[in-house]
Amino acid sequence: MDFFPFLVTQCLNALSQAALLFFLGVGLTLIFGIMRIVNFAHGSFYMLGAFIGYSVARGTGSFWAGLVLSPLIAGGFGTAFEIGLLRRLYRRDASAFLMVTFGLTLVLGEVVRLLWGVQGLQLQLPTALAGIVFLFDEPFPVYRLFLIGAGAVVAIAIWQFLERTRLGLLIRATSQNAEMVQALGVDVNLVRSGIFGVGCGLAALGGVLAAPMVTASLGMAANAIVDAFVIVIIGGMGSFPGSLCAALLVAFVQVFGTYYFPDFAIAAMYLLMLLVLVIRPGGLLGKEA
Amino acid sequence: MAKRFDASRRTIVKSAAAAALVPAMPRPAFSVEPIRIGMPAALTGPVAGVGAQMRRACEFWAKQVNAKGGLLGRPVELIISDTEGNPAIAVRKAQEMVERDGVRILTCIVVSNEALATVPRLAEWDTIFVSGDNGDGRLTGESLVPNFFRPNVSGPMGTRAVSLYLRDSPMKNFYGLGMDYAWGHNSMEVFEAECKRADKKFTGAVFSPMGTKDFSTYITRIRQSGADGVYLVLSGDDNAAFLSQAKQYRLGDKVQLLTELVDQMTINATGDATVGLIGGSRYPYTYDIPANKAFVAAWQAVYHTLPDMFEGDQYQSCIVLQAGIEKAGSTEAAKLRAALEGLEVDSIKGRVIMRACDHQGEQQGFVTKIVKREGMEHPVPEVIATYPANRITPPCNKMVYDD
Repeated sequence: MDFFPFLVTQCLNALSQAALLFFLGVGLTLIFGIMRIVNFAHGSFYMLGAFIGYSVARGTGSFWAGLVLSPLIAGGFGTAFEIGLLRRLYRRDASAFLMVTFGLTLVLGEVVRLLWGVQGLQLQLPTALAGIVFLFDEPFPVYRLFLIGAGAVVAIAIWQFLERTRLGLLIRATSQNAEMVQALGVDVNLVRSGIFGVGCGLAALGGVLAAPMVTASLGMAANAIVDAFVIVIIGGMGSFPGSLCAALLVAFVQVFGTYYFPDFAIAAMYLLMLLVLVIRPGGLLGKEA
Repeated sequence: MAKRFDASRRTIVKSAAAAALVPAMPRPAFSVEPIRIGMPAALTGPVAGVGAQMRRACEFWAKQVNAKGGLLGRPVELIISDTEGNPAIAVRKAQEMVERDGVRILTCIVVSNEALATVPRLAEWDTIFVSGDNGDGRLTGESLVPNFFRPNVSGPMGTRAVSLYLRDSPMKNFYGLGMDYAWGHNSMEVFEAECKRADKKFTGAVFSPMGTKDFSTYITRIRQSGADGVYLVLSGDDNAAFLSQAKQYRLGDKVQLLTELVDQMTINATGDATVGLIGGSRYPYTYDIPANKAFVAAWQAVYHTLPDMFEGDQYQSCIVLQAGIEKAGSTEAAKLRAALEGLEVDSIKGRVIMRACDHQGEQQGFVTKIVKREGMEHPVPEVIATYPANRITPPCNKMVYDD
């Protein structure tokens, strides 16, 4: 393979990986931005998304149905969890949230084990996405291109939503000063429940999209939560553009790092995080720097 | 309040009585102390699927034995605990079983690293450990202890079967992709040595960290290597992820994918992504001998599925353990060790000889190819070659072969 085709292929690989990392990180960072809580169960929603997506796709015979319904179901469950449990804890300190959301990861892990079993499950791609395109005479999966497109669409949608809509304005305002927004007559609790659901839904969307590449498995949750935290920390806690930059940065460092220094594959991401934290302790676009 | 408390107390008393009755039912048959077998198994984490298989095999075996009146007239009782695949936890759990539950026999430790951490303690615990799947060659090599036995196929033996197959194949250049821990490196070294001996070229290998999700870079490297065969030493979620992505990149069109092990769990998880894969099998359920057919039928009657690779391999280990206990007439470590050394058993994979020199079970090796078969939901491993025990088993205490 010549250098130029190699570069293009690797960049596309990195972009598709960035899309998956972005879905994972953006939900967590949105939740943190608004609620100042660390949702430890984020990885579990990612895993749940993959399994629900699998079942819906199998039940309806349509991958697309799984792709749409799974985030909705997981998001609805997230909202219910916020209303039912988290809402009672806002006066407590952060450790209460850690305990409760960590408890949820254990519960969800067991639920998935009981409902779907311990074996990995393959989410079949529709024919349209299972194909390949030839880039410089080398086959490249259509699905990876689809991931890049989906990542871009979701990123633009969230950005427009936050910048252009009234609800987006409320969300940004709540993240800056919740008491003031409340004093102005806005039901902050509703915003919080909504955004928690959206965050969980985004994680689930990431899970469905990742499932055809990694198979839906119980190990997904633990893996994903680490990645999600790294993205959020590098990007800056609560920063939406930060999570996008961080996903891109991590994906490129991983893909090229793994290629040139395979022995340090696992360390690349953490070294990057260390470097960012040394230079900007609040993350790339974080406010607390 | 008082009423509610009373009701719940009554419930507790009732359920306690019920709980006391349940184990009491089969008691009359066994008025003696049960044979307790400790299973510190990885039931959660990346190898949970393998752990679940091995556990099922042990439970299936224990049920069979107890239905026939137990071993030496004593019932078999399995003490199961989760290690999460972590060597430190495995040692702690095993120690608890030995000290608290009076266990003197261990099996079903899933990960080689856990086994390697456990074996140095066996003498002190006066306990025999019969491996059900541990592949690391060192367990019967430099790390061998007198109380360790391996009736299952080791990693080097699995690799050997594939490499014997390769000698006759037209492929010339090989590349490797392995998981970045003991088993991956160990098997890759063996494969590299085998390539040299077979006069084939081994152009290099790359190792992916456990838990890798994106294999695109590794797929690029494999393509660039120009090899016509790539040897994979991956398991669990990592293996499923690699095969799914390799199929998406159509890697198999250019390069023959070879692997040490092909198990049904991976095939089921990845569907058609495994078709065409050639690999060794520690236990192919399609193996056509009467003993195996009977086992498969009995298994299907209970679980309504086909027995998978680790189920078959762990079951064979249980059969060897059973034969050892019967021959020894005891579960004491010294007597059981003497009985197991040199023991010959006809199992579901054919004859196994537990050779005395390094406690490795001599047995034949299988090479399978994954094919689609009419009427089967998933692709199946078809036996394409078998090699006799004397060519598969390495020299005593060795991980590499003389020829």
